[in-house]
Amino acid sequence: MKTGYFNKIAAFGFATALSFFMAGTASAAFECKNKQTSMAKPSGFPSRALTMIVPYGPAGGSGQIAAAMAEAVTGHSGVSINRDHKPGGSGTVGMTAYMSAPADGYTVLEHIDDASSAHALDSSRPNPAVDLIPLVISQVTFSQIYIRTNETRYNDWQSYVKWVKAQNGKSTIANVSKEGSMERVTMKFITEAAGLKIQQISFDKGAPRYGSLLGGQVDALFEQPGDVRKFLDAGKFKPILTIFNERPSVFADVPSHREMGMTFEPLLRFRGFYVHANAPADRVKWLQWAFQRGYCQDSYQKFNESKFMTVIDSYRDTAGARELIRGSIAQYRDVYKAMGLDVK
Amino acid sequence: MIDNFIAGSVALFGDPFSIGIFIFGVIGGMLFGAIPGVSMLTLAAILLPFTANFDPAQGVMLFAVIYCTGTYGGAITAILFNIPGAPENAPTSFDGYPMTRNGQSGKAVGAAVLCSAIGGVSSAVVMMAATEPLANWAISNIGPPEIFALVFFGLAVASSVGGRTIWKGWISVLCGLLIATIGQDPVGGINRYNFGFADLAAGIAFVPAILGFFAVSEIFVQAEKKAIGKFVAPELSFDFPTILELWINKIAVVRSILVGFFCGILPGIGATLAAFMGYGEAVRWSKNKEEFGKGKLEGVISSETANNAATGAAMIPLLALGLPGGAMTALMVGVFQMHDLEPGPMVFYNSPDLIWIVFSAMFYANLSILFIGLIETKTILYLLKIPFQFLAPMILLLSSIGSYIGRGLVLDVMIMFGAGIIGFLLRRSGYSIPGIVLGIILGKIGEQNFAQGMQMVHYDIVEYLSRPICLLLIVAGLLTLLTGVYRAVSFSMKD
Repeated sequence: MKTGYFNKIAAFGFATALSFFMAGTASAAFECKNKQTSMAKPSGFPSRALTMIVPYGPAGGSGQIAAAMAEAVTGHSGVSINRDHKPGGSGTVGMTAYMSAPADGYTVLEHIDDASSAHALDSSRPNPAVDLIPLVISQVTFSQIYIRTNETRYNDWQSYVKWVKAQNGKSTIANVSKEGSMERVTMKFITEAAGLKIQQISFDKGAPRYGSLLGGQVDALFEQPGDVRKFLDAGKFKPILTIFNERPSVFADVPSHREMGMTFEPLLRFRGFYVHANAPADRVKWLQWAFQRGYCQDSYQKFNESKFMTVIDSYRDTAGARELIRGSIAQYRDVYKAMGLDVK
Repeated sequence: MIDNFIAGSVALFGDPFSIGIFIFGVIGGMLFGAIPGVSMLTLAAILLPFTANFDPAQGVMLFAVIYCTGTYGGAITAILFNIPGAPENAPTSFDGYPMTRNGQSGKAVGAAVLCSAIGGVSSAVVMMAATEPLANWAISNIGPPEIFALVFFGLAVASSVGGRTIWKGWISVLCGLLIATIGQDPVGGINRYNFGFADLAAGIAFVPAILGFFAVSEIFVQAEKKAIGKFVAPELSFDFPTILELWINKIAVVRSILVGFFCGILPGIGATLAAFMGYGEAVRWSKNKEEFGKGKLEGVISSETANNAATGAAMIPLLALGLPGGAMTALMVGVFQMHDLEPGPMVFYNSPDLIWIVFSAMFYANLSILFIGLIETKTILYLLKIPFQFLAPMILLLSSIGSYIGRGLVLDVMIMFGAGIIGFLLRRSGYSIPGIVLGIILGKIGEQNFAQGMQMVHYDIVEYLSRPICLLLIVAGLLTLLTGVYRAVSFSMKD
């Protein structure tokens, strides 16, 4: 009972310190990159509400960012945005619906890096940097390896690696290990670099994935920090490896993969907003302004803070987004070829 | 538990919108349960897309309330018209309808009201006491290997319910399993049977399939009866059972609570088998077996107590393990998923408020059956006077909207009508619609957990069976299948 009480105090202390730190960091570091505070509507566009196609459910990461950005854009521009969720097929259903929608600027798309990896594997799928125009990428984050806080078999990356090697391939890690996914590719990098053999268990939904670690069904978890923040705040999970080129200051005690001798370039998870490449140029320009300024709104920044999305630079304008997407596609394609996948 | 229950009650009745949803659920569940040709599933499936705009607790609470009151509501039509509002009301019609024909419809309806409330409230109380400890135990002891074993056991038992023969029951479940394989595989993300259609990559959407198999096929069945002149309106009366009549059947009530709870807690079984087993046990223990089927009050009491006792119990595998016990609880999974939640052990950690609002609502919903049920039954009589030729198009329109609105795809409306036609033909041939739907639901869950479970045990069947729960459930499932085969063969040889 005393231990539980101590853990609660420790967790509260960690969460409180983290909150103060995050708030301080965000208020000191944030600067809106799009300085244009207003923009005239080109030929009256938009004269009605926009439609935002979201290829995932309403309460997942994409659903939440879509709601937050829609609120922010509406708040500063006065233009309403109706969200149309079309989940299924790892974003395929939503992307297909979007590509068949009129390219008049009234329909925008929310999507994640899955669109880039899908194009890398099959070039007949839309290229988000060519077939679409990125309005803004508003969330960029890294991944980490987590273990239970009360784990007794290992307590950091080095001891985890030692333990995994002793299991001779019997250790398990929960992630989303669908063919060609960012998670699977990154795990391939890690296992090859560290000389590990780990059985990946693919959970497509968050709750069973986190429950499998919490209940001891798996030995570790691959995830992004924003998605497991409640478990970090509650003191249930702790990160042992950050897959990023440096230690983010919030996770100053957690080593990066480079520090642990792994030299691969980390793949990032990113979410953003797009419009069809054939949309009228003046309308695209207005949408770029509206969404890039939406990123700057207090409500959106507050949302990003709550999701650990201010730990590293989460903002990319159209040019920056294209660079990120192209780089990701090239990297995925190289890895897929090395993995022996049928790259089309 | 008491503190949580009070907190849940305060949250439920402290918000006017939640109160509105609760009342809507109570009345709507009773109405849709009672109107021939539709069921609580129809209402739930139509409402599913709209719950996206609700708070998650409100959405799940609405469905839980509909589940409680709809299970009772189906008894009305089972008793009055010999049309069970849902499969779990089928045994109610065995004696309820003869009682109506004997001019005892009031006694039968009154018994259904009282016993549904007793069964439901008892079940809700046990659910509140047992679910959370079970969930805590489950998070450490139930992983994908065990969930697959549970699904296998559930399918093995459910396959024998609803079909005209065990073989047809099995074929129905297998059809459902086959349909469940359409779309991306749940682990590797590889497309299967989508024939190049991107929209099919997400698989067959559950709502259109349910609406088609249940609502649309039921309309076709009723339309056929109308066309051949077999649609007959019965005589009505309101003569309630006496206290003495109910007291005589107290053992049947207690037995049915136990049977109903046991069946409800087993994933993949739910209220349908509970009602059949409750009725069967009543016959088995009765000294006057020959009176059953001819208008015996105990038959109605046993069936209705058991099916409502299963409602609370069915929430345990749903909430503790993420496993739906039947079509209605499977629709609740849809509500969870619309809010990116997954029913299962994590719900108790992530959303304890939601759990206790739902528990409280189920308790009060079962109580309200007693108070509102008697009043509402009179209202239902007026609704039943709507001519079928007006009712049927209305239901088809609502079903079409309900199918389309989920993803905005015409394909889903086509799937609904396709499922309706297939369901109509299969029902005529004695196949089990609940079996197909359970196959679709449990097939997806089962496949995913099978793949994850095999990864966890490193594809070693010995290691898999070394997990005690897996071994127990797999053996129990196999024995169930073998027993079914033995009985079917014995029955054929006697014929």
